[in-house]
Amino acid sequence: MKAWVKNTILAVLLAVSLAAVIAIGVGYFNFISQRIFDDSTVHLREIYDQVNRSFGAYIEKNWSLLRSWGNYFTLADETVSDEVIAEFIDDEKENWGFTEFYFIDGEKNYHTPRGETGTVELTDAWNILKDGGAVMTSESMPTPNGEEDLTVFAVPMQGTYAEFSFEAVAIGYRNPDISKTLNADAFSGKSQCFVTYDDGRVLFSTQSENVFSNYLTYLEGVSDLDGETLAKIRSDWARGEWDGGSSSVIRCEIGGEEYLILYQRIDYPSQHAEDPVFILLSAVPQSEVSAGFLKVQQATMRVLIIIFAIIAVAVLSVLIVRIYSQSRKSKAELQYRNRMFDVLSNNVDDIFLLLDPERQNVDYISPNVERLLGIPLKDVRANIRDMAKCAVDYNIIVPQQELDEIPMNGNKHWECEYMHQKTGERHWYRVTIYHMSIQGVKKYIVVMSDRTLEQQMNQKLQEALAAAKSANEAKSNFLSNMSHDIRTPMNAIVGFSVLLEKDADQAEKVREYTRKIMASSHHLLSLINDVLDMSKIESGKTSLNVDKFSLPELLDELDTIIMPQAKAKKQDLSVHVSGIQHEQVLGDRLRLNQILINLLSNAVKYTPEGGKIKFSVTELEAPSPQYAKLRFTVRDNGIGMSEEFQKQVFQPFSREINSVTNKIQGTGLGMAITKNLVDLMGGIITVESELGAGSAFTVELSFMLPESEEADAWFRHKVTRLLVADDEEDICLNIRDMMHDTGVDVSYVLDGDAAVERAVTAHRNGEDYHVILLDWKMPGKDGIETARAIREKVGHDVPILVLTSYDWSEIEADARKAGINAFMPKPFFTSTFWHTIKPLFVKEEAKSALPAGDVMKGRHFLVAEDNELNAEILTEMLGIEGATCDVATDGKEALERFEASDPGQYDMILMDVQMPVMNGYEATRAIRASSHPRAKDIPIVAMTANTFAEDVKTALEAGMNGHLAKPIDMTAVRATVGQLLGTKDETGDVQ
Amino acid sequence: MKKCVFLTVPIFAASLMFGACKGLDPNAVTIMGRESDLSKTYMTRIFDRYKEVTGNNLNIISYEDSEFETSALKAFSKGNAPDILLHFHNSDLSRFDPNDFYDLSGEEWVSDLTESALEYSTNAEGTLLGLPFWESSVSGCYYNKTLIEGLGLNVPCTSQSNFNSLCAALKTAGRTPICWPANCAWMFQFALDPVFADDPELLERLNGNETSYSEIGAVTDAVEWIASAYSRGWFGSDSLDTGWNEISGKLNSGEAAMIFIWDTWFYTDFEEGRYTKDDFALMPVFMNTAPGGTYEGGNLNMMMVNKDSDKLEKTLEFLRFCATPEHYNEAFSGIPTVSVFKGQTTNIQSKMVTEAAESIRLRERVSTASTKIRGYSQDDMAEAIRRLFRGKTTAAECVREMEASRLRESAADRD
Repeated sequence: MKAWVKNTILAVLLAVSLAAVIAIGVGYFNFISQRIFDDSTVHLREIYDQVNRSFGAYIEKNWSLLRSWGNYFTLADETVSDEVIAEFIDDEKENWGFTEFYFIDGEKNYHTPRGETGTVELTDAWNILKDGGAVMTSESMPTPNGEEDLTVFAVPMQGTYAEFSFEAVAIGYRNPDISKTLNADAFSGKSQCFVTYDDGRVLFSTQSENVFSNYLTYLEGVSDLDGETLAKIRSDWARGEWDGGSSSVIRCEIGGEEYLILYQRIDYPSQHAEDPVFILLSAVPQSEVSAGFLKVQQATMRVLIIIFAIIAVAVLSVLIVRIYSQSRKSKAELQYRNRMFDVLSNNVDDIFLLLDPERQNVDYISPNVERLLGIPLKDVRANIRDMAKCAVDYNIIVPQQELDEIPMNGNKHWECEYMHQKTGERHWYRVTIYHMSIQGVKKYIVVMSDRTLEQQMNQKLQEALAAAKSANEAKSNFLSNMSHDIRTPMNAIVGFSVLLEKDADQAEKVREYTRKIMASSHHLLSLINDVLDMSKIESGKTSLNVDKFSLPELLDELDTIIMPQAKAKKQDLSVHVSGIQHEQVLGDRLRLNQILINLLSNAVKYTPEGGKIKFSVTELEAPSPQYAKLRFTVRDNGIGMSEEFQKQVFQPFSREINSVTNKIQGTGLGMAITKNLVDLMGGIITVESELGAGSAFTVELSFMLPESEEADAWFRHKVTRLLVADDEEDICLNIRDMMHDTGVDVSYVLDGDAAVERAVTAHRNGEDYHVILLDWKMPGKDGIETARAIREKVGHDVPILVLTSYDWSEIEADARKAGINAFMPKPFFTSTFWHTIKPLFVKEEAKSALPAGDVMKGRHFLVAEDNELNAEILTEMLGIEGATCDVATDGKEALERFEASDPGQYDMILMDVQMPVMNGYEATRAIRASSHPRAKDIPIVAMTANTFAEDVKTALEAGMNGHLAKPIDMTAVRATVGQLLGTKDETGDVQ
Repeated sequence: MKKCVFLTVPIFAASLMFGACKGLDPNAVTIMGRESDLSKTYMTRIFDRYKEVTGNNLNIISYEDSEFETSALKAFSKGNAPDILLHFHNSDLSRFDPNDFYDLSGEEWVSDLTESALEYSTNAEGTLLGLPFWESSVSGCYYNKTLIEGLGLNVPCTSQSNFNSLCAALKTAGRTPICWPANCAWMFQFALDPVFADDPELLERLNGNETSYSEIGAVTDAVEWIASAYSRGWFGSDSLDTGWNEISGKLNSGEAAMIFIWDTWFYTDFEEGRYTKDDFALMPVFMNTAPGGTYEGGNLNMMMVNKDSDKLEKTLEFLRFCATPEHYNEAFSGIPTVSVFKGQTTNIQSKMVTEAAESIRLRERVSTASTKIRGYSQDDMAEAIRRLFRGKTTAAECVREMEASRLRESAADRD
């Protein structure tokens, strides 16, 4: 049976039970009330029947007394004096409590024993008396003080008193005195009892001061009795008869209180047919009459009510306890479930929602929504549409129409990417919506399951697959490229070697073939170096050699390397430097050099003859004062790249294939290496290019700054005022900016005349500039002419430098003659400037360059080389240089030969690294550890194909003094030897 | 007693002071009084008659009721007092120096004054303060005879218990037994009149601060009866909201059956409704201080003569003119008032007073509380009773408040 049916039946049963209880209670109450009324009536009748009888007897007694006294007075008329009668009456007054005694004659005149006389105003009563009847009346009678109302009893009696002939005698009672006969104490004194005439007029009452003149009139005015009832009462009273026996009881309300009014004819022996009817009327509050019964009734009702209340309370308590228990259990279960669900929700990456589509309300949402999507829980509760903000693609938001299409008890799901509103992380969710009916209300249950890992895994799998394919493809391409790229020079080498053998006797051809074999060999070597370099970088084995280096020197080197190539292709290579605040930085100078050479070489390579290449270096605002951020841009107007190729320009072995590039040699690894190096250095590299219009590669790198140089050097050498003359104001401003931190005050002018004028003015003022920097080529006076004019007018004390981007060797002699002290290359660097002018101020001799001389001639080397061919080549090449050597086939032999040698026998040891028995590092360490007199200072230089920085580092750590890359380049050998051993003059002394 | 009446009637005219002063006749007798008093018919009649018969002029200086006392006191203190001051013999009069006024005891017309008028006008020292020339009404319990007898109840009452029974019966009948407008101030003094009028020595001791209200049991009896009557609902449930303007409606509708007031009110302010003034009769006031009940005699305005008047003789002549039967009968012709002069014949008396003449004769007391008790303030008494009704004080505390008020006002009077 359904719950609501059960509840309805229960409610009906309860209502019926309650109605039955109420009906029984009301019935019982009415029954009891009627019984109480009946009993009260009986009780009231009993009391007032007694009162009636007493009062009737009282009337009779008074009349009897009057008659007996009258007879006495009549009989004593002649024998007893008036004084005695007066005394007798006084005694009787005291005995019976009446107020006055009256002798009344036939003219209504009265005479009292005290001698008072007057007239009574009797009317009806008088007639009765005249007819021989006895009366009781409240008609006006004189009183001792003339104020109080009296009730008078009178009987006809003839006689004479004090010569006053009377026909009736009467006594009068004060109302308070006579009312005592009416048992006024009944009902706690709250009853009022009246003696009235049959028309309702009140003779007297139990009130001490009666205020009622006519009680029927009073009832008419104040009670709820209707006119008909009152008329019947009046009629009954007039007849002296009524239903229900001698007395009648009515119930009425007076002044809001229930009264029982009992009236009965006073029973007294009638003396005359016209005797008035007297009514004994009592008015008693029903509460007083029924007080005892009411107490029983109330007690009974209270007991019943208490019993019912106890039963009701018990039943209710049981129900409440049961309901409470069930409710508590349900609540506990609900709380337990909610708590468990919350905990569960908080610990899973699934979001649960219960939606009410009718009210567009969120009935429930799991609290993990804030953690997973970064939206406050309350926001989602307030508006479910806030969830949409998280969706990456708004198009995936489920429209209402689609929700409506989900069948009842069916579901639908979508994949949707959401973004965490706080962290920005993106996650893929599988959104499943279940359409359900919960307690007859349509609801949607939404489950959002985080499928990010799955998605990522799929993506990675796809990427891995793509990468594998790509790698495979790359490998194929690599092999294909390598095959082609290696075979090409090898083919030349082999081919020309064949031709060389064939034409060995033709010197011209031999030189030609040899040159081509050498070129092919270099290309092949470059190819192998790149491949190895790339391999090293990609395997993560590359590290950076961070050291302090000078940016100007780096740029100078680049200029030295690239400029000849550009010149060879008649290209316009310009270098622009701006905003450089830090010329000394910490970084891997060689790797930076490699990056920039790659970029510049490519620019030269892919820019046709006569093209333009612009190399810009700019210092950007660094993220931290400890860093300098530099931007290097290489822009050319060469062949450019297609958009497609730009996307893979940094991929290994990527080379755009077209008619131009096909003619250009390249491994396709240069840009990949460059990109990897930039990444390794924490920088970025970007490319902009347009096919046929040129390319621009930009590299941004941050370098740590070294400890600052002596900032007060300028001040200490009293260089505080500088005059710059250049027709390009940007250059002037750049110089001023770069000199800003030095404390040197920079003034500038834009032509030679102005420079002369400014210098002369300063001189006259005794404020000569400390240095004057002149651009060589200016419109009007050029730098040389300007310097000459200044010298003529100012003298030779002020150093004058010429700043130029041109080769000044041709004009140097004229310039010095004109008074130029030194030349400075553009671009301007503070450090270059300082180093240029420093000798002029500190009077120090510039260090002379290493004098030219033959560094190799006469040298004797110990060569450790396990490869016989290599050893032979090296021996021959050293021989060509005028040097000799002994060859050891492994490290151990090299050690032994050295230990066996005389001091000075060997000038240097050239040590292969990878050798059997003992490798080069072990051999070096052993040599250094040997007891040979030159063990510690004999130069040992590594010869290895391991050309990376860490190889150099390892070599140095092993005790070697230098590093030569294989295949051996004699130029490098000469440089290394020169650096380590200096030159030998003719005498053999080292210079 | 009528002060409340004067304060509550609309003030219909601005002060005539400036106009009167500007036109003062230096040879004429000057009379100063309230504008409402001086404009009474019998007053204007006697002024006109005097001017007509003697050819003399009169200077009449009148003030609005609210300004009168202050202005009159200023006039006497600044030496520009009038020849005649028209003033009731009430507590306000004690603010004036009695030595400023001429003792009129020696005037011939004194023998023509009724006993009550003479007693009213004479102070405790036996000085006749002024010529009582005013309408006199009897204050008592005016009851709706038609209504009460129609309920089968006996009236008039002859005792306090009888009266209490009547009140209880009326209350049971759904009527308000007594209309007690708590916002008015005169009722309480009816309870005190018999206490002090019947015992002049007690009054003297009270004024001499040899005793206090709290020590006089009758005062507490009266307050306790008032408290009991209020709590039983005999004054109706809205007594505290009832004022002068509501009285008539309560009585003419039969809502209330009785009121402690004066007969003239039925001729001046009672608006007839379901019941007319002919339905009303008079019986004594029962407030638990007089076993047979009490009536208060009329309050009279007196023409008080400035002893220092430079026209003293002329002023006395004016009073003699007013006290002449020919002239006062002309002035009071048709005016409903109890006679002030024995020779007064042209005035009329209300049916209510006439019917209760014997009862009045036996129970009337001269107005004593407001006129003889030093420091008595109707308003303070009314406020104390209102606080009693609101339950702020008990009967005993109410009596103490009344006493405090008396002492305060008395001290102010001396100042």
